[in-house]
Amino acid sequence: MKGKELKSEAFLNETGAISRFTGWFFHEFLRPRFELREFLRQCFLVGYKSLPLIGLTGFIMGLVLTMQLRPTLVAYGVEARLPDMVSLSIIREIGPVITALIFAGKIGSSIGAELGSMRVTEQIDAMEVSGTNPYKYLVVTRVLATTLMLPILTILSDAIGLYGGFLGINIRGVMSLDLYINEVLNTVVFSDVVPATIKTFFFGFAVGIIGCYKGYNSKKGTEGVGRSANSAVVLSSLLIFIIDLVVVQITDLLGLN
Amino acid sequence: MTAVQDIINQPNETAVKNAVLEIKHLDKAFGGNVVLNDFNLVVNKDENVVVLGRSGSGKSVLIKCIIGLLKPDSGSISVLGEDVLAMGHDELDHIRMRIGFLFQSNALYDSMTVRENLEFPMRRHIKHMNAEEVNERVNEMLENVGLAHTIDMMPSELSGGMQKRIALARTLILKPEIILYDEPTSGLDPITGREISSLMVELQEKYHTSSIIISHDMNCVKAVADKVVALIDGKAYATGTYEELKRSTDERIKHFFE
Amino acid sequence: MAKQAINNIKLGIFVLAGLVILIVTLYLIGRNQSLFGDDIHIRARFRNVGGLTKGNNVRFSGIQAGNVRSVALVNDTTIEVSMLVNRKFQPFIHKNAFVAIGNEGLMGNKVINISTNIIPAAAIEENDLLPTKTEAGTNEMLATLSTTNDNVAIISEDLKQTIKRLNNSAALWNLLNDTTISSNLRISLSNIRYAAVKVNEVASGLNTIVVDAHNGKGTVGSLLTDTVVASDLKKAVGHINQASADADILISRLDSLVQGIQNDVNTKGGTVNTVLKDTALANKLSNSLDNIEKGTAAFSEDMEALKHNFLTRGYFRKQEKAKRKANK
Repeated sequence: MKGKELKSEAFLNETGAISRFTGWFFHEFLRPRFELREFLRQCFLVGYKSLPLIGLTGFIMGLVLTMQLRPTLVAYGVEARLPDMVSLSIIREIGPVITALIFAGKIGSSIGAELGSMRVTEQIDAMEVSGTNPYKYLVVTRVLATTLMLPILTILSDAIGLYGGFLGINIRGVMSLDLYINEVLNTVVFSDVVPATIKTFFFGFAVGIIGCYKGYNSKKGTEGVGRSANSAVVLSSLLIFIIDLVVVQITDLLGLN
Repeated sequence: MTAVQDIINQPNETAVKNAVLEIKHLDKAFGGNVVLNDFNLVVNKDENVVVLGRSGSGKSVLIKCIIGLLKPDSGSISVLGEDVLAMGHDELDHIRMRIGFLFQSNALYDSMTVRENLEFPMRRHIKHMNAEEVNERVNEMLENVGLAHTIDMMPSELSGGMQKRIALARTLILKPEIILYDEPTSGLDPITGREISSLMVELQEKYHTSSIIISHDMNCVKAVADKVVALIDGKAYATGTYEELKRSTDERIKHFFE
Repeated sequence: MAKQAINNIKLGIFVLAGLVILIVTLYLIGRNQSLFGDDIHIRARFRNVGGLTKGNNVRFSGIQAGNVRSVALVNDTTIEVSMLVNRKFQPFIHKNAFVAIGNEGLMGNKVINISTNIIPAAAIEENDLLPTKTEAGTNEMLATLSTTNDNVAIISEDLKQTIKRLNNSAALWNLLNDTTISSNLRISLSNIRYAAVKVNEVASGLNTIVVDAHNGKGTVGSLLTDTVVASDLKKAVGHINQASADADILISRLDSLVQGIQNDVNTKGGTVNTVLKDTALANKLSNSLDNIEKGTAAFSEDMEALKHNFLTRGYFRKQEKAKRKANK
């Protein structure tokens, strides 16, 4: 019983701490100075370097989704709707969420581990002593990088995924790329693209802030670093789904569905 | 016993005019764990003060309070005539330029080369420096520690002793007036430890710095200390020169020398 | 330092690629939704839009032309749909073009179809209200189907009547039912023709008598002062002439009918088909038959009258005798 209470207390404690950490982000983010160099470096690492992985998963996702959907649609005789289904699935849901999850796995853990080891080896203290606000230098840049890079990765992943879908259609059937693109563009409307793109900013923010929080507050020792990396991935993945749920409710309420 | 009593608890006696660092009645506790309890210390110009203490006795907490990484519960810390605890962020940054801090784990930035590590504090603190000056200073410091050839290496490519030297070079790069050493010889073999100790003395003589050295490595203490403070139960339990403390008959002080 | 610059360039390319894809996609979607570009705004009013919503496609003669901008209730029975149509379609869409709501495929989205009216009119202008036409939505399809059902019921009722009438018209029925129709018809035609020839003969014979009588020739000449007889005779001759003319028309009609039936029998279809195919023909046929009946009735009446007329009695008697002789 007591253990349970402690658990829930720890949970609330953690939630409060993350909220404060997030509030701190906005506090620091709005004030100069801006660590542009480090921000660009992080964007490069977080965005550009993730592209091969994200692109590959996106491609496979589009291909597999198409091949899996095909038999069902054939059964209903609406095979011609395959581009519509694939594009809507990828753009509205699967693209953003899968990309964000892969991103959380790759970037969330690396941020958690990097900041964790910097904390453990006193690099964060050293920065503070060197006249650098480590929160600004390490956290703000990384969170901004993940927030801005994930949407771009998602867009590219969607595009690659849709191309995978095109190839998937052409494995069993025949459809020209022009017709496919036309079908996709005729199906997809603003209210599909805009909320899906907006939510990726939140996904990116969640991955960044959780990774940084876990790393920044890492416990001493090598085990602490490992745990930071691990819990950063777990928590940010969970948050991605929660945000997705909230976003779907909001878009529903706004009548955009 | 009286001789020891004389040594203990007499900080005001050494509070001479050219004190660069003064700590008074410092208290710090983490939850119920009292780490510092009415701690007093004075450091004079060109003086190397060693704070002796067992692991977990709060030595690191002490110097982190000095540099402003931790906030003490009560007491006052005056560095170069200014009250650290009353400082805002910008003032703190300013005073930190004049204090060097050598971390126990070196705290070299993994993602940067040696050069970038050394440039980092300079770029942060001194914005008007041009590239040439920065380069010159970096090379000077690397030569001081005898590692000029490592300039484009990553910290992970260096041995522990080399890392410590680079860390020392980075600490010295802003030519601070006070240097805080956190266990400078821990984790190093005795020979390397001795090298580091002599390097510390050498550089202290070269740049005329004052230092606080946290250590329990008696070889190092012997090599560098002008004054030794034994930190026991959160207090400056005993103060004196290395020789004085070594001669002490107090059981708890004798432990350090065994 | 150089490495950092290269990385920044790579990052820039990466970000630009993402942004370009996003912007191009948004632009293309927007173009599909007629958010940009030069558009003309037109309206149409419906009683029921069947789930049409903002953003649905508008097609002109099947070509994507724009999309629905809004669907608004005007009053409890009128819904106004306003749509944006690309301006390049403006010269081709006329003010009297029909606007209808249709389906994209069986289960697809609703779509507005604008179809041209053959009657000329001016090209549409901004904010024009176009006439509407209901078109095959699933509901309309069902409604149409029920109307069609009604129609089929009416038609089948009519058909039943027609068939009943045909049944009752024994002559036609025989004509149609008989597989040896063409030969029979030919026989009857030749009979009629024969009769007509005979009628002609009679008529010319009578004419000669009348002419002779006029000239005071022959035995009867003197008697022709009797005006009653003269008029009677004239009437009779007129009837006979009429009958022969009728017979001629009848023959030609029957000829074409036989031709038609023969064609149909030869090509395909069968007899009932022929009648169903051409109700006009059936009418004509029944008319002709009536005429034949009437004509022959009048003819026999006249003949009867002639036989009893003392002037021509002898002539007919002679004829009968000759016939009897011939038969013997």
